[in-house]
Amino acid sequence: MTEPIPIHISNHRAFVFDVDHVAKLRTAHRITGVLGGTLPHLSQQNIFLGLPLILLPEEVFLLVSKGFAILVSDPGSYRTPSLQELAEWDDMRIADILRQLSRSQAQEDSKRKFAQSEEALRKRQEREERRRRDALARQTGASRDSTTVSSAGPFTLEATVSNVAPVPTPTAATSTSTASVLASNVFTVSVPMSSNSLSWHEPERHSFSTLDGARIAGIWTYPSTDAERAKCEVFRDLWEKGYYMGGGSKFGGDWLVYPGDPLRYHSHFVATVHSSPDALLRPMEIVAHGRLGTATKKAHLLCCWDPAARKVSYLSVEWAGFG
Amino acid sequence: MDDTLAQPKSSVPKEDSVLRDDADSNSSGDEDGGLDWSKIPKGSSVSRPVIPKRGEKDFEPAQGSNLQLYQLDRARTAMFDVLRIHRSVASKSMSYAVWHPAIARAHVTTARGVDLASMGHTVARSSSSDPTRMHKRLELLPEEALYLVEKGTLLCWKAVEGFEIKDDEVGGTMLGAPMSVQEAFATMLDTEGITLERYQVYSYLRRLGFVVTRAKQPSKAYPLPAPYQSFFLPSVDRPPFLSHLISSVLWPFKRIFRAFFLPVVNWWRPITHKPWLFYNMDYATVYKSLRLIPSGHSTPLHTMSTEPDSPYEVFYHLYKPPTPFKKSAPPAPDFSVVVVKQVYQLFTGTSPLISTASARTSPIPTLVEFDRLFADQPVLPPPLPRQRKPPPKPEAMRAAQAQVTTPAIRPVTTSAWMRFLSPFLSRRAEVPTVPQRRVNPFMALRQGNRTIVIAAVDGGVASFFRFGQGAFEEWPMA
Repeated sequence: MTEPIPIHISNHRAFVFDVDHVAKLRTAHRITGVLGGTLPHLSQQNIFLGLPLILLPEEVFLLVSKGFAILVSDPGSYRTPSLQELAEWDDMRIADILRQLSRSQAQEDSKRKFAQSEEALRKRQEREERRRRDALARQTGASRDSTTVSSAGPFTLEATVSNVAPVPTPTAATSTSTASVLASNVFTVSVPMSSNSLSWHEPERHSFSTLDGARIAGIWTYPSTDAERAKCEVFRDLWEKGYYMGGGSKFGGDWLVYPGDPLRYHSHFVATVHSSPDALLRPMEIVAHGRLGTATKKAHLLCCWDPAARKVSYLSVEWAGFG
Repeated sequence: MDDTLAQPKSSVPKEDSVLRDDADSNSSGDEDGGLDWSKIPKGSSVSRPVIPKRGEKDFEPAQGSNLQLYQLDRARTAMFDVLRIHRSVASKSMSYAVWHPAIARAHVTTARGVDLASMGHTVARSSSSDPTRMHKRLELLPEEALYLVEKGTLLCWKAVEGFEIKDDEVGGTMLGAPMSVQEAFATMLDTEGITLERYQVYSYLRRLGFVVTRAKQPSKAYPLPAPYQSFFLPSVDRPPFLSHLISSVLWPFKRIFRAFFLPVVNWWRPITHKPWLFYNMDYATVYKSLRLIPSGHSTPLHTMSTEPDSPYEVFYHLYKPPTPFKKSAPPAPDFSVVVVKQVYQLFTGTSPLISTASARTSPIPTLVEFDRLFADQPVLPPPLPRQRKPPPKPEAMRAAQAQVTTPAIRPVTTSAWMRFLSPFLSRRAEVPTVPQRRVNPFMALRQGNRTIVIAAVDGGVASFFRFGQGAFEEWPMA
């Protein structure tokens, strides 16, 4: 048995902040969760999202009850850092900056050597030649249908290349000394993702390995009603059958049920949970679920949890296709 | 042949799109399309974001297919590699702020980048050294600070008691304990009314490029948007909406008056069109006079009792990206967004099953809740059909220019926005020189008089719904 994965709870929401934990949840435990954060360098789109991973409450229930994960109360596990710790962190940061600066200095030196070499000069001449030819071609109107957007592609690429290797004049070479680099402070600053690097983050004392313990402490109370308990049990049953579950709110259900990793496989079912065998199910619901499931090439799965028998029964709804 | 590659065209080749359509018809819908993380550019030095296409998925895992295993492994590795990218930004574009948990605000000490042009607000606070002096400073709401931290362009310090600030350091001043993204999530959420759902809607819209502000002032210093400007002027031209309102209020009296003084009208006979009696009677007024039960959104609801803790409250105002936005004096918003946790009710009506099953959810809004939401929204002008431009002839152009200038000279409307909106105003008003474009009633009904956007969030996925107040009584299908 490996180390259980810490799930960070703040205000009854479950987060995972570590890529390795996300990977382990996905590959070893078939738990996908939903990525809910902004990807740092692709921040203006909503298709690919980044950490933190947000877990469904049923997923948390499964992971903790199987012993794969422990719950950590996240807001409570930060204590006020001592001045000594802050000073240590600051020292580390400045050491890192200096290392970066020295590295970039070394890179610049080698680049400058390269830029003055025979080969670089030849290449630069070739490039300028080609650009002149391109400009000429564009002026003669040979490329009339190429729009400004598409013609900007190769052009900007070249511009960046020429920026990387600037023509070094002797005066420029002498002026870029270490002191001036330090003064201009060109280095990268990182915002840490996980709190593991911070010495004043102490999750150990706020960890709970059982749901009951977390419930008593009041940090995680799901499931608390019969409906929620039924959801958890159905989720566990489907998981034990080997399925992957993802959120199904866009398909009118509780989850989408996948036969394999949702990265590579389509889901076959949209599942809704009914908390007891005598729960009300209206015919209109069956019609709507059948309609929606068929339109999305899925079958609708009605999952019913029987609290007395402690087992789940399944019914799938699909159009029969008789005309 | 290389020329075709060197000069890409803006139009996509035909065969390619046909192929993609085939792939789409095999997949099970847009939402479920596979994400191919391997198409994301690698490395932490990504400067030009490229939004990749969705990949394709298989139907189900086959037993012992090594190809599938390989593809799955590749997809997973690509995903985890992208997730591992550090939040590193050049020191010259990094902003800094100090998070004060007591007031739930982040005080921006160094502001860089375009994001801060539409974020934060200025607050006058008494400085710690001299309590009598008030300092104006830029402060961020928790969602704004968290978004920037998550994006990696803001380093937030947490204020620490008794920490003396050392100046003139190599890497900038340290103003407190540094906050990781994880700590920001743990401490900034659930302050100032920001739940995870609301934050996710905020970041979703922000990533799309919208400017997002609060609808309710979190504090006095928060700038409120300009009030909605009425699209109709009470001026020389009688506005069509107002006149409609007045006529709808007055019509019972009118009817009584007519019934009293004009007994010629026999209600048991079909109404005949008498030009000398009803000089301006058209089908719309006929139908209106036949209406027994008052209808329309202007008539008040019978039940006004609302649940005290209704989740349906406008939380955000949205501004489209090209809106000229001024932080200190925001214009009237383009959209208003309500954020709720998952709306889970497929059908209207109340059954005991649904009301008990919605413990973690919000039910669909009631009529009363809708009424209250719409009451604060502005009345939208009816949508005009897309203008089809005739092929320009030089003489016609000159004539059109002359036509356009004539209404501008008229002394009725002088402000710029009124001139801009004059096509909307002149639905019935006479501006004879401007050619009238007829509003398509179906488009107007679809848009509705007022509109509101509801964002339902469940398990980290936000779905947006637009509700419009359909004004069927204004567009009789005669």
